[in-house]
This record gives sequence, structure tokens and C-alpha cells, in this order.
Amino acid sequence: MMDFILAWLTVLPGYVVPLLLASLGVLLSERAGILNLCPEGFMAVGAMTGALLCLAGHDPWTAVLAGTLSGLGLSLVFGLAVVVFRVEQTLAGLAIVALGLGITGVIGRSHVQKPFPGLPRLSETAWGADLPRLLGQQNMLLPLSLLLLALIAWFLARSPAGLRLRAVGEDPAAADISGVDVQRVQLGAVLASGALGGLAGAFLSVASAHVWVEGMVAGRGWVVVALVIFARWRPLRCLWAALLFGGTEAIMPRLQALGVDFPVYLGAMLPYVLTLAVLALASMRRGARSGAPAALGLTYLRQDKH
Amino acid sequence: MLEGALLIRRQRVPLGLWGATYAAGLVFGLALAALILVRLGVPAPALWQEFVVQTFLTSQGLGQTVTAMIPLVLVGLGTALAMRVQFWNIGIEGQLWLGAMAATWVSLHDIGPAALRLPLMLALSMLAGAFWIALPLALKLLWGVSEVISTLLLGSIAFFWVQHQLFGAWRDTATGFPTSPTLDAVERLPLLGWGQVHAGLWLALGAVALAALVIGVTRLGFYARAVGENRRAARAAGLPVLLIVCSFVLGAGALCGLAGAVIVTGTEFRLSQSIGAGYLFSGIVIAYLARSNPLAVLVVSFLLGGLYTAGGVLKVFYGISEAMVLLVQGVVLLSVLAAQLFADFRVETRRAA
Repeated sequence: MMDFILAWLTVLPGYVVPLLLASLGVLLSERAGILNLCPEGFMAVGAMTGALLCLAGHDPWTAVLAGTLSGLGLSLVFGLAVVVFRVEQTLAGLAIVALGLGITGVIGRSHVQKPFPGLPRLSETAWGADLPRLLGQQNMLLPLSLLLLALIAWFLARSPAGLRLRAVGEDPAAADISGVDVQRVQLGAVLASGALGGLAGAFLSVASAHVWVEGMVAGRGWVVVALVIFARWRPLRCLWAALLFGGTEAIMPRLQALGVDFPVYLGAMLPYVLTLAVLALASMRRGARSGAPAALGLTYLRQDKH
Repeated sequence: MLEGALLIRRQRVPLGLWGATYAAGLVFGLALAALILVRLGVPAPALWQEFVVQTFLTSQGLGQTVTAMIPLVLVGLGTALAMRVQFWNIGIEGQLWLGAMAATWVSLHDIGPAALRLPLMLALSMLAGAFWIALPLALKLLWGVSEVISTLLLGSIAFFWVQHQLFGAWRDTATGFPTSPTLDAVERLPLLGWGQVHAGLWLALGAVALAALVIGVTRLGFYARAVGENRRAARAAGLPVLLIVCSFVLGAGALCGLAGAVIVTGTEFRLSQSIGAGYLFSGIVIAYLARSNPLAVLVVSFLLGGLYTAGGVLKVFYGISEAMVLLVQGVVLLSVLAAQLFADFRVETRRAA
């Protein structure tokens, strides 16, 4: 039993970290009032770009950075559409996902299923060889993501810029009057969500799978959007939400390894069912918009009368 | 940052202006998509040949385009009906899977007399699609759970269910591949004698006519417009809001379910893992570009059917992934969406005082 739990904990970060990173991105964007359905697209371009650079023989960290930047690039398109062109945010988000999946499918076609070394595990680094297995199997993106979580939590709760961001998401008109540049804040938040989504995608290919296949994000981006609602737009709760979903997801292969006989695809379905159930229960108890930024999804225009 | 430009919301959008921005967005998007395809290695003259001549102007190509159009009409109509009452149906693929599974289930168990088998498959697929959208609808009405997320999650859940069946009880023992056994002849939609075009065309056209009738002529359609414009005002005016929302949303699910059955019984003749791919975005694109108008849904679906046909050709001849279809849809949708700014707002460039 102990072995089973240890094995589960060892693989856990591989499932949790991408969800955590991408959901922090969605959280930042939505706290600034921009409804963000894009992570599936951000993660797709991040994963592909990272893999492509690895395959081209670049350093894995360069690949991770490039993946992050590719997500940022795609989010710039989203940001221009919703912040400058005032496009309806649900439709724009879906279009961005189509772009992300389309680009990766077209460009990545000839790079499918080619394995590469990718980001080393800690036990493979010069200084980490003696680490216990639980830590040795991880990579540097795990501490980095936890650091980002702490930073973002601090940023939103304590920093003046975080206060401005939250103000824009709650009441953009009031924020505007008090001198906050609403568009700049929203664009910044969207770009951050793209970078974090790209980083999450790069984690999938460069740090976790060490290979790229089309459709490797496999709906995780949609799950991320649900996790943020479930986390009621709080950074620390994003971690618990990611642990719940990722933890359930991670248990399945471990059970199989033990030889427990259960239908594979029904097992894979379980985290999604669980997310939906938890979402429904939370909404039943507290109301679905509890914790939601008041101006989420609304288009702000200075000239509109409120 | 950009407050130098004033955006003044127009009280009424002139029809001519609306048409012009829409056309400009469409042209810009298509031009951008063409540019991308040329960059990917398709010679520019081939674009005209593959996208216009071979897909619309030859009998064989047109037949393929119409065949591709049939399920697109159904999912586009499904999304449009839901959009009319402000319900984001993003679980199109889930409802489609359920419909396809319901049809396959009837076929595998040989339920009912052979003469009634096909109608039963189609009817049950509609029920299954409606059932799959009923859950998000209930969650939204009862506790306000966002349907964007619940329909999406149910889409993933449906796909795992399909895989569970195909890798398990429904696997074709003759081939060993994860597809269901081929349908019997009585379980297939009859071909119309023009390429692969099948009787599903009449179902799609019938659905368009019915939807146009309901929306344009009946009281229900008129009420639905009121609900879509302002739900609270509609409720205050004493309209049966709940009934309208439920009938439109369940109808949307039923149409998407029917699309699944039409794909299985009309073109594929078996359930496989790949039949539902891509319909999510196409449904959204069609519904938005057609402005939820049933007749326009038919037109947009027809054009999109051409894109699907061309996508197949480009894959074979130029080795370009089918994801191209998705990319083009994304580019065009985003472009039309962005162009709408100039219809919805008057842009004044003087400095804000």
C-alpha cells in the first residue's frame, strides 16, 4: 500500500503541474474580467513549439522558453481581438483554440512520434543523483510552478498592480475613473495567461512525455477552465483543484500497474465526471458565480453609460 | 492605452454597413487563409482549382461537398437553435457521439422489425442527443452551472464512452479494429445516385425548413427571439420562458444526435473513433457566420462542406494535415468577429477630452 502511494505521489506532479500552470493563467485573465476559453490552444502551441525546438537539437530550457513565448504569441491575437476589437469573449476563445489546434496540426505533422531527451529529471542532473526517488523523478518545473503559484497569489492579494488588476475585473468603470488603464491591464493579464498556458504545454511535451503527438493536450485545456470556476478564482484553490483532477487521473495507470482489472476508458472518464460533479455540487451549495469577478465576460467601453 | 480612439455604440446598425463589414471580414479571413496555404506549399493557382473548381463546379466534387454538408447542416442548426436562446452549446461532439452510439446500439441488437430499423435508429439518436444536452440544461437552470463548461466536459465523457464500447463489447470481431461491425443494408440511408450523397440530405433540408418555419412563423419562434434578446423582460411579460428555452435547447441536442446517426448510417456505415472529430468548431462557426438563421445555416454549411472536400484533396496531393480545415475556420471566424467592431461601433479618432 505504501509503495502504491509512493508510486502515485511520484507520478502526480506530471499530471498536476500543467493543470496548475494553465489554470493560474486563466485565473489572471479572468480576474481582469476577460473570460478565457483559450488554454487548449495555448497548451497545444506550447507543447508543439517546445518539442520542435528539442527535435532541432536545442537546449530543453530554450525549448521551454520558446513554448512559453508561443503561447504568449497566440494570446496576443486573443488579447487584440477581445481588448481592442471588443470581440465577444466566448467566440474569440473558441476561435483561438481552433487556431492553436489548427497550427499545431499543420506544422507539427512531420514531427509526430519522434522521441527526444527533453528536460532531465532531478536524478539525472549532476547534483541531484542522491535524491530519494520521490523527488529525483521530478524536474525543475515543479518547484518553478509552485514558485509561480506563490508569486501570483502574492501579486493578486498584496501588490498594487494586483489590486488594479482585480479592480478592472470587478468594476472597470470605477478602475478607469481612478486612473487605471483598463485595456493595458486586461491585455497584460491575457498575455500572462498565454505565457502560462504555453509553459504548461511545454511541460507536457518537453518535461513529461518527451515526444510530441497531435492532440496531446487532449482536452486538458477545457478542464483547466472548469478548475478555475471550481477554485472560485482563488490561486491557492487552483492547486487543490488541480490536485483533485490530476490525482484522479494519475491513479488510473498506477492501478493498472498493480494489475487491478477495470475498464480503461471508463477510468479515464472518471476525472471528468468528478470535475463536473464537484462543479455542480459547489454551484448548488454556493451559487455558480460565487467568487466570480463581477465584470467577467463583459466588454468595457468608456463611453457606455452604466 | 488606446483611449485616443472613441468607440460610440451604434443604436441601430445599418444593414448595408453590416453587410460591408461582414464581407470585408470574410474576404480578409479567406485571403489570410489562402496566404497561409501558399506558405505551406500549395501553389497559388491550385487554390482556385481545388477550392472552387474541384469542390463546387464538377459533378463529382459537388457530390462530395453536398455529402460533407449534410451533417454540418444538422450540427450548425443545433448550435444556432441553442444560441437563439443564449445557450452556448459547446458539447456538439458529445451529443453527436451519443446519437451515433444510439444508432449503432439499435443496429447491433437488431431491435425492431427490419423495415422500421432505420427510422428507429434515427429517432433514438435524436433522443440520445437531447438526453446528453438535458444534463447541462438542468444544471444551468437549477444551479446556474455554466453550460460552456458542462457541455464541454460531457463531450469528453461521451468520447471516452465511445472508446470504451469500441475497444470492448462493440469491437468488430471480423477485423479486430476498434470499429463497430458494418451496418446491414436495411440500416443504411439510401444513396441518391449522385456520388456518395444519401437520403440524409432530405433530413437536413427538412430540418432547415422546420427550423425556419418555427423561428419565422410560429409563436414559439417569436417568443424565442424575445427570450434571446432579454430573458428577464420576456419573463416579466409573462412568456413561458422555461418552455421556450427547454424546447430550443433539447431540439439542438436532438439535431446534433441526429447528425451522429446520419454520419453512421449515411457515409461511414460503422461507428469509429474518428467520425465526430471537428464538428465542435464547425457547428460554432456555422451558427455564428449564419447569425443563427436556418437558411443561412444551409448556405454556410454548403461552403464549409467545400472546405472539407478541399481539405481531403490537399491532404492527399500536398501532404497538408486535415488540421488545415480547423485553421482556416479559426482564421475566418476571428477575422469576421473582429471586423464587426466597425459595424457595432462608430470609431472616432479625436483625442478623448
